[in-house]
Amino acid sequence: MTISRRVFVKAGGLALVSLGLDPLFLARAAYAAGRPAVRPSGRPVLVCLFQRGAVDGLNMIVPHGESAYYQERPRIAVPRETIVDLDGHFGLHPSLAPLKALWENKSLAAIHAIGSPDGTRSHFDAQDYMETGTPGVKSTGDGWANRYCQHDREHADTPFRAVAFGPQLPRILAGSAPSLAIDDLQAFGMRAPQEATRDRLTRAFEELYDGAGTGLLASSSREGFEAVQMLKQADPTQYRPANGADYPPGRLGRTLLQIAQLIKSDVGLEIAFADCSGWDTHVNQGSNEGQLAARLRELGGALAAFNQDLGERMRDVVVLTMSEFGRTIRENGNSGTDHGHATAMMMLGGPVNGGRVLGRWPGLGMEQRFEGRDVAVTTDFRDLFGEILTRHLGATGLDAVFPGYAPAPGRFVGAIRT
Amino acid sequence: MHFIVLFALAVQMPSAAHALTPRDSAFHALNRLAYGARPGEADSVARNGVMRWIERQLDPDHIDDSQLAERERQFKILDYDRADLAQRFQEARRERQRTQREGPHPLTPSPAGEGERKPMREFRELGGELQQLAVVRAAISERQLREVMVDFWTNHFNVFVGKGADRFLLPSYIEETIRPRVLGRFEDLLIATAQSPAMLFYLDNAQSVAPGSAPPQRQLLLRRQRFGMNEPPGDRRRRQPTGINENYARELLELHTLGVDGGYTQQDIIEVARIFTGWSIERPERGAGFVFHDWAHDGGTKHVFGLTVHGAGEDEGIRLLKFLAMQPATIHHVSAKLCARFVADEPPDGCIDAAVGAWQRTHGDIRAVLRAIFTSPDFWSAQAVRTKVKTPFEFVVSAVRAAGVEPDNTPQLAQLVARLGEPLYQQPAPTGYAETESHWVNSGALLARMNAAVMIAKECSSIAPTEDHSQLVDAIDQKLLAGTMSAHTRSVILEQLNDLNDPEQARALAVGLALGGPDFQRQ
Repeated sequence: MTISRRVFVKAGGLALVSLGLDPLFLARAAYAAGRPAVRPSGRPVLVCLFQRGAVDGLNMIVPHGESAYYQERPRIAVPRETIVDLDGHFGLHPSLAPLKALWENKSLAAIHAIGSPDGTRSHFDAQDYMETGTPGVKSTGDGWANRYCQHDREHADTPFRAVAFGPQLPRILAGSAPSLAIDDLQAFGMRAPQEATRDRLTRAFEELYDGAGTGLLASSSREGFEAVQMLKQADPTQYRPANGADYPPGRLGRTLLQIAQLIKSDVGLEIAFADCSGWDTHVNQGSNEGQLAARLRELGGALAAFNQDLGERMRDVVVLTMSEFGRTIRENGNSGTDHGHATAMMMLGGPVNGGRVLGRWPGLGMEQRFEGRDVAVTTDFRDLFGEILTRHLGATGLDAVFPGYAPAPGRFVGAIRT
Repeated sequence: MHFIVLFALAVQMPSAAHALTPRDSAFHALNRLAYGARPGEADSVARNGVMRWIERQLDPDHIDDSQLAERERQFKILDYDRADLAQRFQEARRERQRTQREGPHPLTPSPAGEGERKPMREFRELGGELQQLAVVRAAISERQLREVMVDFWTNHFNVFVGKGADRFLLPSYIEETIRPRVLGRFEDLLIATAQSPAMLFYLDNAQSVAPGSAPPQRQLLLRRQRFGMNEPPGDRRRRQPTGINENYARELLELHTLGVDGGYTQQDIIEVARIFTGWSIERPERGAGFVFHDWAHDGGTKHVFGLTVHGAGEDEGIRLLKFLAMQPATIHHVSAKLCARFVADEPPDGCIDAAVGAWQRTHGDIRAVLRAIFTSPDFWSAQAVRTKVKTPFEFVVSAVRAAGVEPDNTPQLAQLVARLGEPLYQQPAPTGYAETESHWVNSGALLARMNAAVMIAKECSSIAPTEDHSQLVDAIDQKLLAGTMSAHTRSVILEQLNDLNDPEQARALAVGLALGGPDFQRQ
């Protein structure tokens, strides 16, 4: 890691001597150095939605042109007449109908048969691999999104650069680059019922830590209070979605609304991350209606509302859905599906090369399957993540983001317009 | 014997601890070997001699802990064994599947929460109890060092509670595998974790079998198939593991013993995995115990670390674990990690060398290793004292102890720990949580600490309300910080109290600021 001379001067030689060389402290000081007062809007933003529990890609982006799909799923296949056709071979689950307009205007794409080179069917391992970006290696400490932030310093001028919505920082954002976990935007900062108490506590703690000298505690508190201050100016309590956007009730809608808020408030958000769960449909999955249909309806509604709300701003935004693996091609004895291999992801936003199902479709024939039962992986998820980082966020080197792999343009599926 | 040890310590002390008053030394020891000082505790430990207190903590069986025993009786989770918990979990799951089968609820898409059925909610509550029990034990046990070591080893041999059967295997892992061995011999702890159902499941060794091997029943089935009897379709066939799984072998070398730079190769990992083939769980879904499946064991010759291993079945693994426990790389790796916990994030060589020496002399007696660390000059040096930042767990527990809060059985305090970024038993990676501050100090987590401090301060019983602000801040300095409050902290708190006339309000604010401020974050 290289530390610029400027940071040494800024941080003060005395601190370096008394603290010993604390690399992370220096790294964070480097992030904080030279923050511009105004953050231009129009910076690219990536929003990641993790469908935890392994979404059934085959019922989300349905290969209705394959007879094997209907043969293997007598009870849970989505009936042809209800499918929102995309290209004659694939179609959207009817619950995702609100997204059809985005397909038409070429800002929605799907990537099929994407997944991990590792064959694990454990939720835990597969989620871990997808977030660390190192399939097969369990001991990786940080996530790929954080590693991107560590190595690309250009946007490291705001505490809101990388934000996870939820109570804890997920693996994907764990690591030495600063990132925030925000459970609720309106409650971020000091919590107290009255504003006066909140302000008093904020002032008092800020002052307490101001005297804490240098080091990680001091720099972290400065970052934290800067974030509180920026958010206060943006005033999230007054937020109303634009263009008549109507977010569905529930956690996912609320989270996407808050992400839209944060993007519009120009606090420098570059990567947002959120979870949505309930995809582990072993039992009674349903077809055009039912359990999975209800989850997809919430997802489709929330994404459509987000797109509506951001309007013109979507030209700088890419939303990516991801899930740890797909599900078995054949339905099980409980009208559900079990853990499989490849799945489908969706991308939407202005920079997306939309109106297409990307990636190579391996087919559902017996000999085309992975281990005789699952959709085979034809796109390593790192190639898609790598393409988005490079072509959308402008990452310059991927070797450090995906150690031991380094996605190459030759393998990109063409998800981002160039 | 006891006398001689104390004498030896007394001789070593002065040169190292020259800058510390007896009270400072006691406060330092309480910050590191315990979860901080309760009000007045630094003084009482100083009065009786800090080295005497340390020796007592190293011998916890002779410390009365009846108050904790009383509290533990209120935790239902301790009444259930592994099989009970497995049964409760399976029932809860069946119940959930049954309600799912009865029909989807398209209008209530929320997968958890309101729609959740009672048995699953009850099972989750037991999980919450397990976390809160850790907080209660750390807060009120008199055997403080033992609780610190429970936390250390649980983290070193991390198992993620959210992975499948570990939801019900983890409680017995804590109670039966870790807790009885935290101050014993490292090799005993290593073997116990290797044979624990929780670890066997977590790192997949339970399904590591020699390629081509099959259980006796399955061979029977195959024979029947050959005679035209059909196997029922479905999952049974797929669930049969078909080869070695390297996960445990890799983490055993990289994390539990030699360390990432311990000088082993991928081939070593494979050989170690072969040695552990057949180490499994009898019936994981029923919460049964360790079993060695001879049929699944790779009977071939393995070459690893200069050893040639074959034909000894289960004993091959035991011999390997004993070998690993005494390897220089292991001794150094684990000693350095202990020093990172007790001395400094980047521990100096002196204390590591002392720990390594004690390990070699005593064949890995954890007590002796700890004693070597606590008596090394590095432990008492100015570079060590009050320079480490408390982990989320240490912060919450030490705040509770200092403020005299009686921890209840609700998961509230455990949830606070989670909000600060390190939820108990919920680190998915086998690395456990890191021992260095950079992993838990960040802006969001720091704001969460401040909020947690304000919350805990509301229940403070150790500071009496008073109208005299200066007296109030003095009391806080003495009782919460053992007299180490900085002049800056003092002046900021006093300034904030200026316009507050209500003594209760003033106390809550002052205690909250003190606990959430920078002085209390350090240990």
